[in-house]
Amino acid sequence: MLDLIKVSKTFFPGTANEKKALNSINLHLDPGDFVTIIGSNGAGKSSLFNAIAGVFFIDSGAIMLEHRNITTLPDYKRAYDIGRLMQDPMKGTAPSMTIEENLALAFGRKAHKSFFALNKRDAAHFRELLARLDLGLEDRMKTRVGNLSGGQRQAVTLLMCTISRPKLLLLDEHTAALDPATAEKILKITMDIVKESQITTMMITHDIKAALALGNRTIMMDEGEIILDIKGEQRSNMTIDELLAYYYKERKKQLTDDRMLLA
Amino acid sequence: MKKLLALLLVLILGMAALSGCSNKTATQTKKVYKIGIVQPMDHPSLNQIRETIIAEIKAQGMGDKVEIVTKNANGDMNLLPSIMQELINSNVDMIVPIATPAAQAAKGTTKTVPIVFSAVSNPVEAGLVTSFDATTGNITGVSNSIPIEDIFKLAATVTPNAKTFGFVYNSSEINSTSGIKKAKEYCDKNGIKYKEATITGTADVQQAASSLVGSIDAFFTPNDNTVASAMAVYVKVATDAKLPIYAGADSMVKDGALATVGIDYTKLGKQTAAMIIRIVNGGTIKDNHVEQVAEYANMINMGTANKLGITISDELKQKFVILGQ
Amino acid sequence: MTLLIGSIQLGLLYAIMALGIYITFRILNLPDLTVDGSFSLGMACAAVATISGHPLLALFIAILAGALAGLATGLLHTRLNIHPILAGILVMTGLYTVNLGLMGGKANLSVVGNDTAFSSIESMFLTRGEMGITLLALVICLTIIVILAMFFKTRLGLAIRATGDNEDMVRSSSINANLTKCIALAMGNACVALSGALICQYQNFSDVGSGVGMVIIGLASVIIGETIFGRRSVTIGLLAAAFGSILYRIILAFALKIDMFPPYALKLISALIVIIALSGPSIKAALQQNKFRREVNSHLSDK
Repeated sequence: MLDLIKVSKTFFPGTANEKKALNSINLHLDPGDFVTIIGSNGAGKSSLFNAIAGVFFIDSGAIMLEHRNITTLPDYKRAYDIGRLMQDPMKGTAPSMTIEENLALAFGRKAHKSFFALNKRDAAHFRELLARLDLGLEDRMKTRVGNLSGGQRQAVTLLMCTISRPKLLLLDEHTAALDPATAEKILKITMDIVKESQITTMMITHDIKAALALGNRTIMMDEGEIILDIKGEQRSNMTIDELLAYYYKERKKQLTDDRMLLA
Repeated sequence: MKKLLALLLVLILGMAALSGCSNKTATQTKKVYKIGIVQPMDHPSLNQIRETIIAEIKAQGMGDKVEIVTKNANGDMNLLPSIMQELINSNVDMIVPIATPAAQAAKGTTKTVPIVFSAVSNPVEAGLVTSFDATTGNITGVSNSIPIEDIFKLAATVTPNAKTFGFVYNSSEINSTSGIKKAKEYCDKNGIKYKEATITGTADVQQAASSLVGSIDAFFTPNDNTVASAMAVYVKVATDAKLPIYAGADSMVKDGALATVGIDYTKLGKQTAAMIIRIVNGGTIKDNHVEQVAEYANMINMGTANKLGITISDELKQKFVILGQ
Repeated sequence: MTLLIGSIQLGLLYAIMALGIYITFRILNLPDLTVDGSFSLGMACAAVATISGHPLLALFIAILAGALAGLATGLLHTRLNIHPILAGILVMTGLYTVNLGLMGGKANLSVVGNDTAFSSIESMFLTRGEMGITLLALVICLTIIVILAMFFKTRLGLAIRATGDNEDMVRSSSINANLTKCIALAMGNACVALSGALICQYQNFSDVGSGVGMVIIGLASVIIGETIFGRRSVTIGLLAAAFGSILYRIILAFALKIDMFPPYALKLISALIVIIALSGPSIKAALQQNKFRREVNSHLSDK
């Protein structure tokens, strides 16, 4: 499904702030893979997503989506096949427009061809999808998104990402800014949607326990490189302590990221 | 990439600056007297003056000795100082500004290059000269002061029942404000009442004029350039309310105002051309005092008179120059 | 025409410009200063076309010209990464020359004596031509409002609204944000140019300096309307902008009628009237606050 071949990106080359965000990364994803990504701050996780989504163009290497070379495609063209969810619940929706309007916008090309974007057939479809979230949003379809809480907005954004059946879903710590109860709920909804539609997914998280428990594969990044890539039995047998020991051995330093340790 | 663009920009600006300087070093093989004629805007009266000056200079056989450059600020008064500066940079020997705004800009730009203005109705109040009899420094010209009193006297003959007048004018045009001042003096002396509505641009004319309708018997506007540009809408408001407009310029009467006591702009042009030629042939500014146009004529627009239902006796018609049947 | 009828007619015709400004300033959230230039552009195009004998075609040419002007600003901003304010100023400055060129080098062109949209209406209504003109202005204004309201419910319309709201989200929804910006700018300036064209045919002359200050008048209309109607939906916003334009002209007429100040005080008086009108909601809120404070204080002193 997704192939990253020797992908490299350096920010501010030749200046004092030079930072090698991605260092010749190679990655291969099979269709249906659910990969969790962990790593300390500055490891390059978000940069990896940005490179795949096309927020910036990479310096060297190639990105292939379903054997199609998307390395030079602009971000909005890649968005047709790649859905992305950010940490900030405010970023994914248009606050002055209603839930219905936001969903209609995301539904876009797959929608029923009619003159008005908001028509009855699509509205019924949206209502059905919202009802499955079990958040009561199906009764508030005409509410302005700006009036919803963070968790509700993330749920709507999640729907918007998946409504047009993308080939790849990128989740960038999308529950990190929510309170524990809401975070759990959103995570559950995420897992349900992914399982049901079998979308290839990559999820960044700081929760090591969840990272090992969810999905079928885990990647650990550090300083722009993938230092660990485990799946199957090796992964299910891995404990948090073993993971930390591995990190120490590989990088010759302690994993001092509080958020990861305390999660 | 950005550095390259910045460098390119600096190069282009540098070249532009240099080309501006190089004009000064251009030498002329034949000594030709260069005159710059400047108008603040396009206007039938102003255009007529300009064309008459050019034609008259050629007619007097000066075509070979004189090179004429014409400039127009197209209604943007802020451009006038730059236009004057550019003329001076290109070594003109004389500037001929037509109308007060151009004359004021010329005075502000040079104290040495001779300025001969035309169609300035109040040169003293505009700060161009200290008096009609003594020319100051490098300025002189031909003035056409608007005979405000005569216009009101004409109004008394044509529409004797008009007791209250409405003044519509642009208060930032000095020719208008001095004209209105004279009008107010006359009205106060003769027991005529008046109301005012000032404008700042052509877009204001409609509402300003409409606001006076109902409380006046007639409109009066001096030779205001802004109102003159908006005559179409001014005339519509007045005609709908069956009110006459007494104006300060013949072009305004041609466009629909009722009457004025005005001048023939060709005569003004010829008089200015004569003064220009005297100075080109060696006369000095000091010897050429500011002149005034002597001949005035009553002008009336018969079409407007008919629309307003005003009858003019045949005897009166003979005294008029008829514009617009 | 009376002052009131004339003001309403002007208000309706300038309302179309306010709609254009609403599209760029409020919906797209982009400060667009092209307006000063595209208004005169519409005027100039209409003047030339009307004099050649095509009054209705003149309006369509003006719309097209305005769209091109808006597109130019959009391209400067999206392709050359020029700040939107500067892009608008650049196009507006360039249009000054274009407008003069269109009018044959003249700053003022009279249209008197040619058929216009308004003269044909006047001949249709045998008596009370004023009624016909007001009706025509009203019909045109309402038609544009309906067209725009419907447009912003289509997918492209939603995309434009979202671009002004949250541009990143629009890109993630696979929509070309640069394209939507250009389309919205083109639409907004097309409306402004149409307004200029109508004003030209209404007042029977075209003046190259007429556009100066139009963006201010348009913004004032939009905000006056918003303060009265609130920011509810796009359709309400469009109606509010149009209403604000009419109200602004009536306020101006009112200020003109006030006799006790010298005539040059007009602009100050109209500004004061607008301030009083817009301070309504704030004063109401302040009074309620005071009432609440007094109640709380009296409660505490009772105890």
